[in-house]
Amino acid sequence: MNKEASLSIAERDFILNALREDVRLDGRQADQFRPLTVSFGEEHGHVKVQLGKTSLVVRISSEVAKPRDDRPFDGVFTIALELTAMGSPAWENGRQGDLETYVINVLDRVVRHSNALDTESLCILKGVSCWNIRADVHITDYDGNLIDASCIGIMAGLQHFRRPDAVVKDGQVIVYGLDERVPVALNITHKPLSVTFHTFDEGKRVILDATRKEEQASEADVVIGLNNAGDVCYLSKFSGSPVDAMVFVNKSSVALEKVKQINGIIDKALQTDLAKRAKSGMAEESRAENDREIH
Amino acid sequence: MSSPLILLPGDEVPSEYLPSTNSAPLRLGAGLRLLTQPSSNPSKPPSHVIAATQPGILSTDNRKNAASILSTPNRRYIPTPNDLVIAQIHHSSPDYFHCMVTPQAPHALLGQLSFEGATKKTRPMLKQGDLVYARVLSMGLGAGAEVELTCVNPATGRAEPGGLGPLTGGMVFDVSIGMAARLMRASSSSPEQQEAVAGLVVLEELGKKLEKTGGFEIAIGRNGKVWVDCANGGETAVKSTVAIGRCLSTIDEHDLNPTDQRKLVTRILREMKIES
Repeated sequence: MNKEASLSIAERDFILNALREDVRLDGRQADQFRPLTVSFGEEHGHVKVQLGKTSLVVRISSEVAKPRDDRPFDGVFTIALELTAMGSPAWENGRQGDLETYVINVLDRVVRHSNALDTESLCILKGVSCWNIRADVHITDYDGNLIDASCIGIMAGLQHFRRPDAVVKDGQVIVYGLDERVPVALNITHKPLSVTFHTFDEGKRVILDATRKEEQASEADVVIGLNNAGDVCYLSKFSGSPVDAMVFVNKSSVALEKVKQINGIIDKALQTDLAKRAKSGMAEESRAENDREIH
Repeated sequence: MSSPLILLPGDEVPSEYLPSTNSAPLRLGAGLRLLTQPSSNPSKPPSHVIAATQPGILSTDNRKNAASILSTPNRRYIPTPNDLVIAQIHHSSPDYFHCMVTPQAPHALLGQLSFEGATKKTRPMLKQGDLVYARVLSMGLGAGAEVELTCVNPATGRAEPGGLGPLTGGMVFDVSIGMAARLMRASSSSPEQQEAVAGLVVLEELGKKLEKTGGFEIAIGRNGKVWVDCANGGETAVKSTVAIGRCLSTIDEHDLNPTDQRKLVTRILREMKIES
């Protein structure tokens, strides 16, 4: 049974009727996100995202690999997401549902194809070796809006991750351990995030960050991906009933405001984490500005 | 009984904790099971013990001569006979409605004629997605056994205890199984005792505050579903329903004490702009 249990008629009708009165089940405004917390684990690139009851863990990892033959100057960046039974009883391990393909597709477009991570900077030696950056998304609880939550997790992870330093010496690639040389942050060109809207009542009511029940009761969804500068890097409306073009225009400005707000939350979380690490870690000691003792 | 008794699955219930007031048979509720232990001496009859199948606090009712486990706020519902549940019709067959009690679990069966006064001609025509308030009749034995539901008391042919049958309108909110059990206990005792019995004053408080706007109707399913309807609410019906749902889920998540519950009700009603 790899399928979400359908809503009852009463729930479907109620959600719609309530939205006609501008009331959402959790008392939120139509343009309001659920409480968002972003926290980091011990290692670099380990992010926990909690968006209302939806929660997930993103893990960024790196390894040295051979670049693709057609792009010898580029590194490799992959996003792996699997909906396992850990996240919801409706999902079965090892079987790909529609939701999974959809979410992976959107994440690929928003984060990967928009070149948020500069893959050229991942090249170590042309055509021989490059960094392979991999983002694994594990969903631990599901209550709607998987796309936005995963997007937040991946972007926070990429900004938090530090890869080992590598140099080329006499045609040989040397990778230094994390304790030998200060690990290097990834080169992030811009910070795109997705904002998902759901439409109800023949496109008259549009809400963002829908819960699972709201998603199920909705008619269609609109995903807008943009960065802090307001560049739209992704726009989609795949299925469901028609949506007025003005919705896209109006909601883009709402989305921009939300993206700025969320990027602010991510930045703040990154700074707190950095401050914590500076206190306990070796970052301070291994700074180049430190006095050297010469024996 | 002095202090609450906490049991883990497999623990035996000491007999001094069980109600022993009258000769009526003891009724075992959710989380308790009668186990037969063969005695080592073949001439002696086997002994019986009552053991817990779920972790939680033992709760007993001397008046009804019943004992059950007040379970922790978990999410998994295990059907137990006589539980009242809110089921959703999935599809129907000539003899049965196939209902969803827990999502992603095998369907439960509800007889087409298991309604008050139902005959072949007058039986309710329920379609997919309709809700019914039903009682668990039996849960079968062994693996793959089917859970059977009913909306009548087979002895009297009436919809007892009150209100069993199709639920129309309203909204369903999900709460934890433990919360549903507590709400059930709170609503079955008198208003003054609610606080003592289950530590819940929310329903009484909401009842008082929403009286002016037409009151509300509530059905609690032990499967962690609460159906709320404010049919007489007029303009504020939707808001009142949402407010009740928010109160219940917040109390469930944060495990609030009675004072905080009262505060929460006032705060949420103010936020939703409902006059009380």
